[in-house]
Amino acid sequence: MVVQSKNILRRIGFILAILAIITFSLFPFIQMLSTSLKYPADWGNPSLIPERINTSAYKELLAIGQPEPDISAVPESIRNLLEEEDITQEQRDEILARYVDTGDIFPFLTYFRNSLVISLLAAFMSVFLAVFGAYSFSRLQYRGRSLIQRGVLFTYMFGGILLLIPLYKVSVQLGLLASPTGTFLALLIIYMVQTLPVSLYMLGNYFRTIPYSIEEAALIDGLSRLGTIRRIIIPLSMGAIATVFIFSFMIAWNEYMFASVFLKSFKNIYTLPLGLRSLFDSQHLIWDRIMSASMLTAVPVIVMFMFVQKRLVGGLSAGGVKE
Amino acid sequence: MLAIMLMFLIAGTVFATGEVEGASTGPVEIEFWTTLTESDRMATLQVLIDTFEILNPDISIELIPVPENDMASQMAAAAAAGNLPAFAELAAETAVALGVEGLLDVDATTDFINDLGKSRFYQGALELVGVGDGRNYYSVPYHGWIQGIWYRADWFAEAGLAAPDTWENILTAAKYFNQPANNQWGILIGTTAEAFTEQCFTQFARSNDAGLFDKDGNLIFNSPEMREAIAYYAELAKYTPPGPQTWRARDYYLEGKMAMFFYSTYIMDDLAIESVAAGSLTGENFEGLEGAFFDPELVNNTRLASIITHDQPAGYGVIDTLGFPKQTDPAATAAAQKFLQYLFTPNAYVTFLHMAPGGMNPVLPEVTDNPRFLNDPKGVYTHYGPEKLAEITGGLESIQTFGIVEGNRIDAASLIFAQQILPQMLYAITQEGADIDRAMAAAEAAMRDLMD
Amino acid sequence: MADVAVARPRTPRSPKSLTPQQRDARLGWALILPAITIIGLLVIYPIIYNVYLSFFDVSLMGANTFTGLENHIGVVTDGEFWQAVLTTVIYVIFSVLGTVMLGLGVAIVMNKEFPLRGVVRSIILLPYVAPVIATVFAWQFIFDPVRGIFVHLTVEVLGIVQDRFNLIGNPKTSIIVAVVYSIWKNFPFAYLMILSRLQAIDASLYEAAEIDGAGAWHRFIHITLPELQFIIGSLVLLRVIWNFNKFEEVYLITENVKVLSIYTYLTAFTGSLDLGRGATLAVIQFLILLIFIIYYVKKVLKW
Repeated sequence: MVVQSKNILRRIGFILAILAIITFSLFPFIQMLSTSLKYPADWGNPSLIPERINTSAYKELLAIGQPEPDISAVPESIRNLLEEEDITQEQRDEILARYVDTGDIFPFLTYFRNSLVISLLAAFMSVFLAVFGAYSFSRLQYRGRSLIQRGVLFTYMFGGILLLIPLYKVSVQLGLLASPTGTFLALLIIYMVQTLPVSLYMLGNYFRTIPYSIEEAALIDGLSRLGTIRRIIIPLSMGAIATVFIFSFMIAWNEYMFASVFLKSFKNIYTLPLGLRSLFDSQHLIWDRIMSASMLTAVPVIVMFMFVQKRLVGGLSAGGVKE
Repeated sequence: MLAIMLMFLIAGTVFATGEVEGASTGPVEIEFWTTLTESDRMATLQVLIDTFEILNPDISIELIPVPENDMASQMAAAAAAGNLPAFAELAAETAVALGVEGLLDVDATTDFINDLGKSRFYQGALELVGVGDGRNYYSVPYHGWIQGIWYRADWFAEAGLAAPDTWENILTAAKYFNQPANNQWGILIGTTAEAFTEQCFTQFARSNDAGLFDKDGNLIFNSPEMREAIAYYAELAKYTPPGPQTWRARDYYLEGKMAMFFYSTYIMDDLAIESVAAGSLTGENFEGLEGAFFDPELVNNTRLASIITHDQPAGYGVIDTLGFPKQTDPAATAAAQKFLQYLFTPNAYVTFLHMAPGGMNPVLPEVTDNPRFLNDPKGVYTHYGPEKLAEITGGLESIQTFGIVEGNRIDAASLIFAQQILPQMLYAITQEGADIDRAMAAAEAAMRDLMD
Repeated sequence: MADVAVARPRTPRSPKSLTPQQRDARLGWALILPAITIIGLLVIYPIIYNVYLSFFDVSLMGANTFTGLENHIGVVTDGEFWQAVLTTVIYVIFSVLGTVMLGLGVAIVMNKEFPLRGVVRSIILLPYVAPVIATVFAWQFIFDPVRGIFVHLTVEVLGIVQDRFNLIGNPKTSIIVAVVYSIWKNFPFAYLMILSRLQAIDASLYEAAEIDGAGAWHRFIHITLPELQFIIGSLVLLRVIWNFNKFEEVYLITENVKVLSIYTYLTAFTGSLDLGRGATLAVIQFLILLIFIIYYVKKVLKW
């Protein structure tokens, strides 16, 4: 009896703990969803349930059911401006069309794609370089090894803000920032290098926990060093590699400061953080739109991670050790 | 692997330099940095650029939005990298601070103003961007706004209170309407350590005849008048919503939770938008919402008190300027000058100002006579009437700042503004509970440091 | 691909003439070189550049003036600087402790089987995967003094506090929000790392202990913690470095928690744009962290 009631108590405690964790993790997202569905007049109301559902922010962001551009709504001052005699009718129409076409105020898919490409590439390159580098200083003996091992982490301690000016200066001098491709490339390499020291460090630590005996056996069987990396180290470290990958991905995914300085001139390659910020600046009274944009930003990532989740957990436990 | 990376880099570099070289034979390309980041205003600027480009096929202008608070850091990064834009929109005080740092092309600016005709400007506006010598200018004034207290005339009438145009009236009303238990607040004044706070405070200080400098440039900050203004400001801050607040808190007013707020005439444009929104959404749909009632009559019930009187009447406003940051290629500056000339032609000027009727007012008095100017797309001028309009544009002539004393331009005042010494002091007093005398002494020390 | 290139170097000497140690050394350098080169170019150079700048009064357009140690002395004799150091230390200690402890607790709970565990695991990752800038707006809204739900609950529903307050804006309390935000944002990372180690613990250890009659607490202290020691040690180290230099997660949520990185940013980029002073601050910030890390690695981790 005593054991049983103790078990029930423990069970309830366990469930409460899980509920608390869920609430803590989710609450800001609930607030986000709530505000995104409220009319401006409802913002002052602390209740999370909208008085009336307002989907106009989502419609506007996703360009659903927006009114057709209306040439007659063009302010008179602009029409007067275009009466200039040197302007042909054709040019006039073109300018007007461009004016009334408010376009995508938040080209969410473009920004999402940009963020995804740069984050995946940066994470992939960082992990790729780090696997070999970390193997080098955690397994091989050579002069200067410990210096490199320590030095790598120390470089990471220098705050990002002051890297900004020198890196910007170099990029401009190399002419990288004159084209979208160059700018994208510059930012990609910066993101990669920002995660590389920690990737090296984390993987190095993990590799050291893998018993050397496994590798030794393979080496005796005639496998090369690089062969052991591919056949033994990488499969045994999938969990750690996945974690490092996610970490590197998130650094690039979140980054705002470098993006704001580097990408400024090319709206087509804005990343999501920059896009959200420019949306916030693009209008006043914007809470519903900014919150729905935040939701739109979060949801695909959520779906993506749910999809990866199984593989991730699989990877985490595939360390050759049973759960 | 390293080779692959290097190839990437080299390929990128070659690609990029190729583009630059190609560009030098085509039209002159310049960047125009604007703080008008709102999408509708960007669209109007783009129309102006498109039209200009058709008339001047040899010039191509790229419009780049830069949030106002990021302008200084972006300029710094660009200057350090030798990558300054040829043309930029700058508030007058920012322009002077950047100019003192040597980032702006003073000769090109002065030539431009002389060519356009010095006498065509409001002299008060020109003074604000003058180099100390009285002959040269850091930047070209383009439009300006006036600040004041916007208030709920219906609430004031109901309570039998007088308009908030004197220290006594403002404090009485703030006290009366401040009911935290009902989540209703008296007044919004700036209490964060940023420009908005200094703008609100300047008007009170000037209305008490308190300044930073005398006309010879001697620091006279630590005066009884200044202390009185600071103490009054601190008292008023008690009737502002809790915590440090800035202009974004004006939303509380729009939600019907505040009686007065400091704001520029830009609110006329915002309120016009608000009234459009109100058309599709009436208060009846929200009867259940306590304290969140949407008031379609808000526009009609909002009034402006632009002059505050205590010892003397004081008005405040900000002139926005267009400047020419230094370039290595003189053709870039010439192109920017040409574009600015275009922006001053009557049709282009009116188009620009109509982006935010009320918020953007001409610095050339002649424009107010232009019938096209008075016919703005949102009907703001018709709504507020020619009298109010005259008050506002006329106010540009009599903006009182710490930087101009009896006609003398004091550069150090712009540095103090740029360093945000006054807002930091007010933040310390209102938010951190610092003692007034000690905070003033610290601020004075910081000012003297800066001037050495 | 690299397999071939490295195993058979194109040197005239046959690889067989190298001792195994020499071969290891060559391979070691070959593998680490790409990473080191990139880090050297993109991190070491800016650091040296900053150290150089710190000796100058930097002018954005004209020539810099050499001022020796003036910047350095100016910084360490400035009370505001030490205030920023104190704020940073408080921020780092509480955010790191909170992140690691919560991560540990959540990892232990999540290591047990229960229905819908997969879904819950996904939910936990949300704070970590959403961009900072997307979540700060919701956080600011929650703590808004006039319309936020937090103030509504504490003042009007529960009546714990008398007057409406601005937790996120008040300079005395905003650090609380900054710390809680950092914990919220980063505990999933700690949880992931700890969980991956937890799952690697040999189950037979627990079985043996259970047979010996050890209770849950006893098993936690004597089996789980020792197994996790190394990963927690690294986690603390990493989080200290990150949180010490954290800029966006603090600056975007509230500007008045003046940790060193924000103080540096404000000094370098606002007002009169003092890049020389900013560079000095960055160098000093680096040194403080360096000293801490050396101490931590030597004395606490005993590497």
